[in-house]
Amino acid sequence: MIKQIKNNQRKHSFSSPLGRLGGAFVKFLLTASGSITSLAILLIVIFLFKEGLGLFNSPSVEKGYALCVNASNPIEELTPQQIKQIFDGEISEWRIENGELKMEDNSQFSTLHSQLIYPFRFDDVFSIYSDEEFGEDYELLPQKLGEVIAQYSNIIAFLPEQYLPRENKAVKILPVKNIRLADFFGGKEWLPTASPSPQFGVLPLIMGTMWVSFFAILIALPLGLGVAIYLSELAGTRTRNFLKPVIELLAGIPSVVYGFFGLVVLVPLIQKTLNLPVGETAFAGSLILAIMALPTIITIAEDAMRGTPRAMREASLALGATHWQTIYKVIVPYASSGIMAAVVLGIGRAIGETMAVLMVTGNAAVMPNSLFQSVRTIPATIAAELGESPAGGAHYQSLFLLGCILFVITMIISATAEFISKKKVP
Amino acid sequence: MKKTILTTAVLIAALFGVQAQRIKGSDTMLPLSQKAAEEFMKINPSQTVTVTGGGSGVGIAALLEGTTELAQLSRKIKFDEKNKLKEKGKTVKEVIAAYDALAVVVHPSNKVTNLTREQLEGVFTGKITNWKEVGGADLAIIPYARETSSGTYEFFKESVLKKKNYMSGIMSMPATGAIIQSIAQTKGAIGYVGLAYLSKEVKAVHVSYDESKTFVAPTVANAKNETYPIVRPLYYYYDAAKESKVKPFIDFILSTKGQKIVSEIGFITVTAP
Amino acid sequence: MNKDKTNEKPPLRGGLEGLKQKIAFVVFRLLGLLVVGILFWILGFIIYNGIGVISWEFLTAAPSGGMTAGGILPAIVGTLCLVAGSVIFAFPIGVMSAIYMNEYAGNGWLVRFIRIMTNNLGSIPSIVFGLFGMALFVNTLGFGDSILAGSCTLGLLVLPLIIRTTEEALKAIPNSYRTGSLALGASKLQTIWRVVLPMAFPNVITGLILSIGRVSGETAPILFTVAAYFLPKLPTSIFDQVMALPYHLYVIATSGTDIEASRPIAYGTALVLIAIVLLMNLLATGLRKYFSKKVKTN
Repeated sequence: MIKQIKNNQRKHSFSSPLGRLGGAFVKFLLTASGSITSLAILLIVIFLFKEGLGLFNSPSVEKGYALCVNASNPIEELTPQQIKQIFDGEISEWRIENGELKMEDNSQFSTLHSQLIYPFRFDDVFSIYSDEEFGEDYELLPQKLGEVIAQYSNIIAFLPEQYLPRENKAVKILPVKNIRLADFFGGKEWLPTASPSPQFGVLPLIMGTMWVSFFAILIALPLGLGVAIYLSELAGTRTRNFLKPVIELLAGIPSVVYGFFGLVVLVPLIQKTLNLPVGETAFAGSLILAIMALPTIITIAEDAMRGTPRAMREASLALGATHWQTIYKVIVPYASSGIMAAVVLGIGRAIGETMAVLMVTGNAAVMPNSLFQSVRTIPATIAAELGESPAGGAHYQSLFLLGCILFVITMIISATAEFISKKKVP
Repeated sequence: MKKTILTTAVLIAALFGVQAQRIKGSDTMLPLSQKAAEEFMKINPSQTVTVTGGGSGVGIAALLEGTTELAQLSRKIKFDEKNKLKEKGKTVKEVIAAYDALAVVVHPSNKVTNLTREQLEGVFTGKITNWKEVGGADLAIIPYARETSSGTYEFFKESVLKKKNYMSGIMSMPATGAIIQSIAQTKGAIGYVGLAYLSKEVKAVHVSYDESKTFVAPTVANAKNETYPIVRPLYYYYDAAKESKVKPFIDFILSTKGQKIVSEIGFITVTAP
Repeated sequence: MNKDKTNEKPPLRGGLEGLKQKIAFVVFRLLGLLVVGILFWILGFIIYNGIGVISWEFLTAAPSGGMTAGGILPAIVGTLCLVAGSVIFAFPIGVMSAIYMNEYAGNGWLVRFIRIMTNNLGSIPSIVFGLFGMALFVNTLGFGDSILAGSCTLGLLVLPLIIRTTEEALKAIPNSYRTGSLALGASKLQTIWRVVLPMAFPNVITGLILSIGRVSGETAPILFTVAAYFLPKLPTSIFDQVMALPYHLYVIATSGTDIEASRPIAYGTALVLIAIVLLMNLLATGLRKYFSKKVKTN
């Protein structure tokens, strides 16, 4: 090899200015490549947060629409949730105090306005008047809408901004507030396409993600730890040489295949053996995720245990401890930071997993209170809804914000794992 | 910068002679468009038709961004969608290619055969939670819905729920096939699927829209004679400026051959082209 | 790091502690078996159901009969295109980045920062790549749903993997080779190009193969950047959409008018997908073993 280098040395002369220039260029190229991952992260942050934070500049009712009431109505503002409940028929009476809608039965309100609410949608106007009455190019539409609103003192009308009866004195247009941070992070309802007021409560999604990932780790940890101990302490060379590739293969199977397997095998199995009403549950998701997180946990935990100094093992054995005592009193405590890192990284893998979870958890956006209930996770929500949300709209932005949450969570997790694995055992 | 990249992209695309027609949108219409594309390409081997799903919303969004030639929608274009297209200087044309009836389906072992619209509204908004409330066994009702922005989800909400929101936390399935599968496995389940998707694994319920005077079975015949109430048109939308490009495909789907595909799949044909 | 300590197992002891140990070890063995069992269960299930579907026609025809008949050729070709595209994009950059970090940058704060960033990029969930790819490549840069956009997204996804494996390969080369080359008057670049890279080559290729396996199985990043439900014609330019195996498996597993009739196709697709991915993994493992033996004997 050294001879070869000598020969090359003769062939090329790198001391020429051209050669030096080439060297500088290559160095520049290498530096540029080195910075690309940092650049990618920067771009991801910019794009995700730019779109995502746009949500808080979006109105809390559907864009391009406004809510109107009769001018005699003392209501000043409505929360997105109240708007949704009014149009769903869950709030049926105007009970107003200081311009705000009161939900409690016992509150004092003026009798004048304790009347039934009449929710009115734009399309309803076409069943009141015939098409000809609106004029050629719908130029009379605002006027007719105004008439309707003036006629009913209990009305709340959901109308496109361009047809708002702005001239009409009997019409009061409710101010539209932007979606607030509290609506997003504190909301318990995820109904992103609800009209007039979409609900972007992210709590059920976060809880769903946490439940599925947490139980996945709860299942995978003892399993993975056991296998790691077996691999590092008990297995012979041949078993190891067989088991290691098996674990690598397990890590290599694409998540959509896991999802498919879960869908056709696990979901029906869970439903039958546990006699549940539905098989698509958080439990199914946890099981699949546990299998998927196993390789991560096994590999890292095993590395940590094999890192235990030989002297420590031998000291323990020399003191008369059994092999098993040595394992759980010496090796596992010594490797504990590595094992913790394995757990954290396993959780990270589970939280971000998309396809498998999408296919087996049933995707019900509900606050989970049992493992045997359908849940909806953040990645599954993005995957299922992004294709269907018009670009630039509030729904689209909310999905990017979910992406931001996911991004932040995984950053925290990888930082934690880094921190833990660097910490030395006292 | 953005513009240059865009123009080069377009240039390169033109260079490679991409004359593909893209159809995008409603999952309900996927089988129809897919099969029609298959047959269409058999007749016109020089044409390429790409079919992509995602939901009706994505079809319009793609039309808006010019990333599709045809948008397939299982609902009528929304007022503000039309406005957005107008803002971009696009006028859309609408073609009704077929009709689809939504069937309400339950587990085959379920004894309930008739449901009124009001009962269905109660079930899907979460006010009715047990089958015994609608004349069935003492069993919890598990309603299944489609993903939030699919046209099917919206149409069912409009027609059956009278625009009220579904109960929060309803099971939502990424695709109709998944609903069928789940309902076939789940005793207390109820859901809705296109007529085309009906199979032996699930039982279709007779529906009444006139306060239980008449209950109508979801069949092609009943949908055609307009006695079955939950029927919706299936649309193709396209940019009027690109009419010449998509016309052959539209003509094909409205032809006798195309309409044969429509009925083969289980949709209802449009009588007059 | 660890020598063959398994050959000198500590002696078993009698009594209660011995019993505890026996029980614990039996449990661990069973757990080891369980993991193997899970793998074989999944593989066996898919192979058992899918093998009957695989035929020449299945591999070389387009889907027909409303996704219930025909083959999956367009999906196979699509996946190959995406693999090729992402590797062309990510492999040179990844290798150069690793060379920079290992050979040029020393051990300053900058390289530590870059290493952390690379690790972080590797831990970002694939769906976030999908979001980002859609926002940047599809919308902002105007690539549309295309092989180009999908390849770029997938390329970013595997970049950390390529960088990590290349860096490991470079680190494994003893410094004496570098100093030797430099002492003979070779420039740094020459040393890297003629000495370091050829020696690291086998392990770099292993990393490449692993990333091919990873790319061919990813679904979430291509969901919104390239994947088509039905496109029987093969792509002619990088601005075409394509079908892809993982996405195809997803759609035929969850949609379609006749889910029972398309099930066999789903099994077949899953089998082909798994075969590609696992073949890549096995190839990488095999290569690694082969080369490590060769290095030792040298």
